[in-house]
Amino acid sequence: MEPIDQPALLVAMDLLWTRFLPEIKERVKILESAAAAVAAHSLTIEEKDAANGAAHKLAGTLGTFNLTRGTVLARELELMYSGGDGPDPTLAHRLVSIAAELRALVESRKLHG
Amino acid sequence: MPHKILIIDDEDDIREVAALSLESVAGWDVVTANSGAQGLARAIEHKPEAILLDVMMPGMDGPTTFRELRNNPATAKIPVILLTAKVQSSDQRRFADLGVQAILFKPFDPMTLSSQIAGVLGW
Repeated sequence: MEPIDQPALLVAMDLLWTRFLPEIKERVKILESAAAAVAAHSLTIEEKDAANGAAHKLAGTLGTFNLTRGTVLARELELMYSGGDGPDPTLAHRLVSIAAELRALVESRKLHG
Repeated sequence: MPHKILIIDDEDDIREVAALSLESVAGWDVVTANSGAQGLARAIEHKPEAILLDVMMPGMDGPTTFRELRNNPATAKIPVILLTAKVQSSDQRRFADLGVQAILFKPFDPMTLSSQIAGVLGW
């Protein structure tokens, strides 16, 4: 393949973003559900592990698509969901707030094309 | 001849962005695998000059895959670079102790990923 310049790469990246957006939104949805479960004192181990995995994946992905703030937020969530018992319910407000910010970041990412 | 590199990562989005980056920015030949087991098979089949290996994968994770690569005479000498979103220093020390060529971190900049890899490998 012939090397391409930065604008062409950004357009190609946008095509990948559009393709993988449903998967990325699904990860955000897992975090929204987990945050709601923490608030309701009903978080299961399976939900905690799913949230930890989703946060880890988003931390790696979002910054690659130039959403650096998304990576910072996802790392915070990964840390909070990594403990054995999951986040303390007193953190529920923060968890909900981060998940909402992630949703907004993902849905407002602008394309270069 | 362009360099040939194998990317092993279970996350489709990361794997495809990395492949796009290395193919389109650096002009390298890229082979991909979505699991450690598939990565081992592709490494034997394609004989890449280097392997970019994700750490957290279901089934055979990155460190296990690395050990399998080292235990196979056909792949033992291929340089392996770990790619991870784990940024805690305890994780980094654990990965460094494996004996990999380098550790690169997610997220990465698709425009500069190839130059990072080239720098590590002396390409």
